[in-house]
Amino acid sequence: MAALTFELLAKCSVTKARAATLHLPHGPVPLPIFMPVATQASLKGLTPGQLEEQGCRLCLNNTYHLGLKPGQATLDAVGGAHKFQSWPHNLLTDSGGFQMVSLLKLAKVTEEGVRFLSPHDGSPMLLTPEHSISLQNSIGSDIIMQLDDVIATTSPDFARMQEAMDRSVRWLDRCIQAHKYPERQNLFCIIQGGLDLDLRRECTAQMVARDTPGIAIGGLSGGEAKDEYCKVVDTCTGLLPEKKPRYVMGVGYPEDLVVSVALGADMFDCVWPTRTARFGNAITARGVLNIRNAVYSEDFGPIEEGCQCTCCRRPEDGGLGITRAYIYHVTAKETAGAHLLTMHNVYYQLNLMKQARQAIIEDRYPGFVKGFFGKLYDEDKGKYPAWAVKALGGVGVDLLDG
Amino acid sequence: MLQTPATNIGQLPPEMLDFTILKSTGSLAPRLGRLSLPGRKTVLTPAFIGNTSRGAIPHISQDNFRKCGGLEGVYIPLEDFIEKHPQKTPPIFKIEARDPLRKFIALPNDTFTVLGARRSPPISTPVAHTNTEISLLTSVGFRSMTSEYYAAAACKLQPDIVVGLADIPFGQEVVGTKRKDKMSDRTEMWLRDIIAKKNGMGEEERKFNIFAPILPIERDLQSWYLEHLLDDMVDKISGVAIYDAYLLDDLPDELHHLPRLSFHVPASPQELLRQVSLGMDLFTIPFINFASDAGIALDFTFPPPAKIGDSPRQALGIDMWDPELAVSVTPISGGCTCNACTKHHRAYIQHLLSAKEMLGWVLIQIHNHAVLDSFFTSIRASIEAGTFDADVATFSAFYEPQLPDKTGQGPRVRGYQFKSEEHGKSGKKNPKAYKKFDEEKIVQLRAAHGQNKAVRDLVDDEALVGLVGMTDMEGVKLDGVALGEDEVKA
Repeated sequence: MAALTFELLAKCSVTKARAATLHLPHGPVPLPIFMPVATQASLKGLTPGQLEEQGCRLCLNNTYHLGLKPGQATLDAVGGAHKFQSWPHNLLTDSGGFQMVSLLKLAKVTEEGVRFLSPHDGSPMLLTPEHSISLQNSIGSDIIMQLDDVIATTSPDFARMQEAMDRSVRWLDRCIQAHKYPERQNLFCIIQGGLDLDLRRECTAQMVARDTPGIAIGGLSGGEAKDEYCKVVDTCTGLLPEKKPRYVMGVGYPEDLVVSVALGADMFDCVWPTRTARFGNAITARGVLNIRNAVYSEDFGPIEEGCQCTCCRRPEDGGLGITRAYIYHVTAKETAGAHLLTMHNVYYQLNLMKQARQAIIEDRYPGFVKGFFGKLYDEDKGKYPAWAVKALGGVGVDLLDG
Repeated sequence: MLQTPATNIGQLPPEMLDFTILKSTGSLAPRLGRLSLPGRKTVLTPAFIGNTSRGAIPHISQDNFRKCGGLEGVYIPLEDFIEKHPQKTPPIFKIEARDPLRKFIALPNDTFTVLGARRSPPISTPVAHTNTEISLLTSVGFRSMTSEYYAAAACKLQPDIVVGLADIPFGQEVVGTKRKDKMSDRTEMWLRDIIAKKNGMGEEERKFNIFAPILPIERDLQSWYLEHLLDDMVDKISGVAIYDAYLLDDLPDELHHLPRLSFHVPASPQELLRQVSLGMDLFTIPFINFASDAGIALDFTFPPPAKIGDSPRQALGIDMWDPELAVSVTPISGGCTCNACTKHHRAYIQHLLSAKEMLGWVLIQIHNHAVLDSFFTSIRASIEAGTFDADVATFSAFYEPQLPDKTGQGPRVRGYQFKSEEHGKSGKKNPKAYKKFDEEKIVQLRAAHGQNKAVRDLVDDEALVGLVGMTDMEGVKLDGVALGEDEVKA
């Protein structure tokens, strides 16, 4: 059962890119999409209204964090995470497995679940697939993720990798079994298998057989080589059904998004754009600018020329007309500075995907990709990352040509 | 809040401030007034203006400032903008545009600006003032600024109102008589400087209105200054800045028609009421932000609700850290119409604080400003109705005399936000975000899992909540900025 419809609008005639509209319980969202991460039911200082104004209609919460604070009892009492944070649009929650392993180095995975010590009082706790789904049912997110056995992709231990993959499949079955509201929450499976393409193929086949409403490719973005990353995404999307959304977890650099879309992925999330904003970094089409650098102290232009975010838009057009010099003036000194840059970065990421979608619909995605890299590297093809050239070459776009 | 811009003041010179006393029952009594500046929202007094830090009301980004209806005016301290002085020209002076200060901080066109030298409240400086310079605290340390420089800054920045420099040794408990003489001499000299500078401005330049400081010393010790003020400067000033509300009695009658801006820092709403009762018109209220940072949502109305029997005095605010609020799905205050109360409930705000999410302070700050806004609306209604004294009495009987104590931890504090003497105290101003387990704990944890491998530090995402500590970033090269400097993935 699914609580979504996937409306495929266009396919790129050269690459594997797709444009679609995903109809979710809290409204439609355009694909491809970038989803900002509101870890603890709040997007780093922004009000739900501010997030909405940047165009966001689907953001993430973290099950692990919400399970600890405010906790399941509160979520039940309040009536779920939408009501809790006054967010009228869609939410996606991860299962908590990743945080368990990334934040708590002492977590131990057994067939039963993930065993860890409470960061609050050190008491032993166990997160099982059933408990993760129960939490996500209480959260009420529109898309929920299965609990998976996450290990570092770079792990050399093949046996452990195989075990994690097989276990993730078994846990999916337990998640499906435990899921109370398939008619209003969409459970996505997560393909594991590290960087071993055969394992990934096997896992994909197993997961697809379970017919979940959407499919995620997990265990990536953990420090593996970009070449390897692209091979995994390309391999998996090649085996996935066309009429289902594909979510690559934890991916967020602009180049990664543009290449991954060409490889046939639809959904992405990452904390980097919002986290880096708090360090004074602005994402622009010409690269990331650290606005704390003194060269910006007298730069009275917008964060990015032509950007239509709340900060950059001119006052005549209803924006604030915030300058780089002002961001320099407040960043890391007043929280409002972080809020301003966070809005800009979220807008940039959402707008990048919006432009990509339009290009796919008009069947000019290869040109869009070339334009994107040209601008990012100042038309200097020598600077293009080899992995991107190779990956795009594999789907028929020669970045170095023309 | 009054939204309509000033009307019918077309006959005034383009930037002239107009202050009309609408109701007054004599000196040392509450009064109602209307302050208008061309192109800005008219403000009915008594009222408060926003207290900015580096161009923004703390925690309120410029778009939220607009969404919350905005305040009619804001106070802007120059010391927030001149950390490059004197080695370099501060960036703010290099903006080639009309109304550069407003443009720089993205303030709405209809909000009036009051420029002063020091933050409110100012942090005491170790360096004494001289005949020509005052000392101040920028984000990179203590600096000196000449009266000449201040006057030039006022001309360049085009604020609506400029508060004349006052020679006040902030933080000094006992001030000798000789020093007080000097205070009044220098303050007079510096006021003359800024008046002269204004008179020298070109025809086409937008002029500012000057508020003359009234020193926190007895009248006979500033009598020369006050005399000269009345003799040759009274027609050059548009208001007075009061540093000790309890000396309002000493204010010469000839200055009574002028609006009074208080820099006498009130600690509580009761103290605000006391100042209003003495005839104060405009306030900056630092306790709003102190309460917000402490996680205290203000919760009082004027006059208070009817007292029920012998019930104890009510708190002036709610400690939003209180774990009891974790399942409370009611707004902070029942009748409040602020964006925090109409959209969110106590449970969420309690969660945001305990998760150290910045939004917690944002919402409380929005609410606290709304509480003060309706407080002043009610004060004006009460003065109008002639019930002010009685209402103050019931207010004092109904509420605790002080704001609740802070229990939770505030956002990271910055160097320019705490007093210099606190630097000398031991202990950290901000708690450590990361901590290492001690040996004993590591052994214990290993045993719990039967693991023997090396144990890494506990990584806690809370470290990234709020802001990252920043040292001087001048030396950072642009080339060093690359994708991948932060850890990816949630």
